[in-house]
Amino acid sequence: MADGYAGKYLRVDLTKEKFTILPTPEEWKRKYLGGVGMGAKIMWDEVPPEVKPLSPQNRIIFATGPVNGTLFPPSGRYEVISRSPLTGWWAHASAGGFFGPEMKYAGYDLIIIQGKAKKPVYLHIDNDLIELKSARHLWGKNVIETTDRIMEDLKDPDVKVAAIGQAGENLVRYSCIMSDYFRAAGRTGLGAVLGSKNLKAIAIRGTKGIKIANKEKFNKLLEDAFRRHSPEGRYWEYIESFRKYGTFSLTDWENAIGRLPTKNHWTGYFENAEETIGMEPMRKRHYKRHASCFGCGIQCKYSSVVKEGKYAGTESEGPEYETVEGFTSNFLSTDTSALIRANYLCNIYGMDTISVSHSISWAYESYEHGLLTKEDTDGRELIWGEDGMDDVIELLEEIPFRKTKFASLLAEGSREAARRTGKGSEAYAIHVNGLEASGQDGRPHKSLGLTYAINVRGADHLTSLSSLDELGYKEEIKRRYKKETVNILADRWDEKLKGYLVADMEELYALCDSALLCKYGVMWPPIYYHQDFGKIISAITGFTEYEDPKNLSKLAKRICHLRRCFNVRLGWSKKNDALHPRFTEEPMPTGPAKGQVVHLEPMLREYYQVRKYDWKTGYPTKKELEEVGLEDVAKELKKRKKLVPVYRGKKAFQIRK
Amino acid sequence: MKILNIDAEKCSGCRLCELACAFTKEKRIIPILGRVNVFQNYAWGLSVPVVCTQCEEAPCIKVCPTEALYRDPETNVVKVKEEKCIGCKLCVSACPYGAVVFIPEKKTVIKCDLCDGDPVCVKFCPTGALKYEEPVKATLSKRREQAEKIWEVL
Ligand code: SF4
Ligand code: SF4
Repeated sequence: MADGYAGKYLRVDLTKEKFTILPTPEEWKRKYLGGVGMGAKIMWDEVPPEVKPLSPQNRIIFATGPVNGTLFPPSGRYEVISRSPLTGWWAHASAGGFFGPEMKYAGYDLIIIQGKAKKPVYLHIDNDLIELKSARHLWGKNVIETTDRIMEDLKDPDVKVAAIGQAGENLVRYSCIMSDYFRAAGRTGLGAVLGSKNLKAIAIRGTKGIKIANKEKFNKLLEDAFRRHSPEGRYWEYIESFRKYGTFSLTDWENAIGRLPTKNHWTGYFENAEETIGMEPMRKRHYKRHASCFGCGIQCKYSSVVKEGKYAGTESEGPEYETVEGFTSNFLSTDTSALIRANYLCNIYGMDTISVSHSISWAYESYEHGLLTKEDTDGRELIWGEDGMDDVIELLEEIPFRKTKFASLLAEGSREAARRTGKGSEAYAIHVNGLEASGQDGRPHKSLGLTYAINVRGADHLTSLSSLDELGYKEEIKRRYKKETVNILADRWDEKLKGYLVADMEELYALCDSALLCKYGVMWPPIYYHQDFGKIISAITGFTEYEDPKNLSKLAKRICHLRRCFNVRLGWSKKNDALHPRFTEEPMPTGPAKGQVVHLEPMLREYYQVRKYDWKTGYPTKKELEEVGLEDVAKELKKRKKLVPVYRGKKAFQIRK
Repeated sequence: MKILNIDAEKCSGCRLCELACAFTKEKRIIPILGRVNVFQNYAWGLSVPVVCTQCEEAPCIKVCPTEALYRDPETNVVKVKEEKCIGCKLCVSACPYGAVVFIPEKKTVIKCDLCDGDPVCVKFCPTGALKYEEPVKATLSKRREQAEKIWEVL
């Protein structure tokens, strides 16, 4: 029996109003670890391609991992896994805060939700007590009202609540799940999945504990981990800055390399950003107080407030870097009060700030090029800059309710909005495989181009992004990779070897999202690497085999392959491993990376070599799947003619030491 | 003599102190076994660690019928002799902070003993919300911070 886990999982069938509590199978723990790993296993087994994202048969899985809720920092997160109503593909999103650890303290590694409730309900869990309660009085309420009301109803101010706002109820395709008021499981539209099931919220309380397999080892690793988060650690400068400014310190760093998406990803440089929307002005104007997720040594959280002007008094946790970009440079606006207002509205209605801001900016750019007119926009002139922000704010009030035809069009996400609009407006829907591009750009950071192209959930920055070349962590590159590769890997404009680098990051983050730590600490800054995961997994669970790098790499590959196979079964093939032409055909017009484009093919070739995918079809290879222990998956894909028997391509070059 | 000095304004609510305490004292990861607990108002992002303040006139000692609660003469710390505790819970109701907690599985109460002069919560606290220092120094450092705020305005 493995330690570190809560030990049980809960299945809720909303149609039958039935709860099943079962021991978490040993096979799931050992082979898939937790988080997205276990999620992938369940999605593969239980959600065949016929099941549409918003149908009752779709599953939505709340998952923790063995490291969650232990003292090991930063272990406050949880993952939500499903099939995405925004993209149609694999979906996962993760949130920090306190909800994840509470799930474990209540005794559940996973909560699997299926079916559809007849009327709006919420799920209440207090250790062994599980009940579905009417949410009639909560339907139509925003996230703050809902959370407050549930605490009142249950007379428990310490209950942890994950809820959807009106956006989720009205099936806005990029609605999210909000926990502890302000922490978002943001991407891929999982709020709509809950909305489609009539499940308004999960409220959870737990007072049980977690057993550690090897306390002595755990203690040593703990000491080392906290030392790395202290002034003695290598990355203290970054941690200090996250603690002082929050993640928006990235705004300055990204603009400095010409990678701060500006005007709907038209360029990557926003003039004077440092003085207008950068970390200093943001802190000076809006900083309210410092906060943190559960058990974190970085502590990037804080809340902001608008002190003057028409939005005075607006207060919310955040905004994160992605939101800063989405509602300032993305609209050529320096109005940070409008930004805080936008962030607040997205939080209370429950919308992914990245997808909603970039869906709206699709409309702005389409309008600029005459593809949308005042007739389409409810009489609005969509103009860039500070003066256009009133309309953005208005739209944020309308989209969650699908108030008008235009708002409802935007609620479908940029890909679908552009498809319905036609006239070439697809050129301004900056998404990859249906997911709006986040606050990154591949032109100044080539490996990011590959990241967007091959990610299982589309254009996001959390599944395989390499921060090593991005922010020039050269010393870290030296520690991890072979000497002859260092200079090439560190050059963010050089496509060479980046396919191997991205594959390595994808595997590292698969471990991170399954053991369940925060990406800060693994990515920005790169505190932990594979061997750290091997050790901590071993100490907490007792799976000592993962201290052997070979086994650990197999585990990571297994998770990566299984997620991709889920997509392949849905119809994903080589043609999906592609980028929006904005990144491959339009040279960066301004800024430090002026003239750059992404050359995808060389990187994709390398990536395919590591994964042993077939270059023509993008399908996986039988032998490789069997090697990582996915024999059943191989069998099913073979039946569906989506498997290649032998890999005939080149062998991958090993960049790791 | 040093005291555990709490500066709630600095607390980020990470709850590391709570878990570190539980793990050190009980060798288990169970937040409610922490001698210190952090209370949060998520809506406003406010957090406060609540822990025994080692009262000079300790009500818990006064009500304890078995002298399980006592003051260590050397360190002035209020401690529990677990083997003497009969679980009557009088101290739990007497303590104005709820800092003494009865644990059913253990059949005794638990409370902060300042880790014999080296409190683990302080070591883990990343923000300085928990400090172990001389009382006079503690108040003065708080006043200094106030002064710094005033300098910023000047
Ligand atoms: S680094 Fe930030 S997001 Fe991650 S766990 Fe810590 S406070 Fe939360
Ligand atoms: S460790 Fe410090 S900052 Fe964290 S909850 Fe405890 S007192 Fe607050």
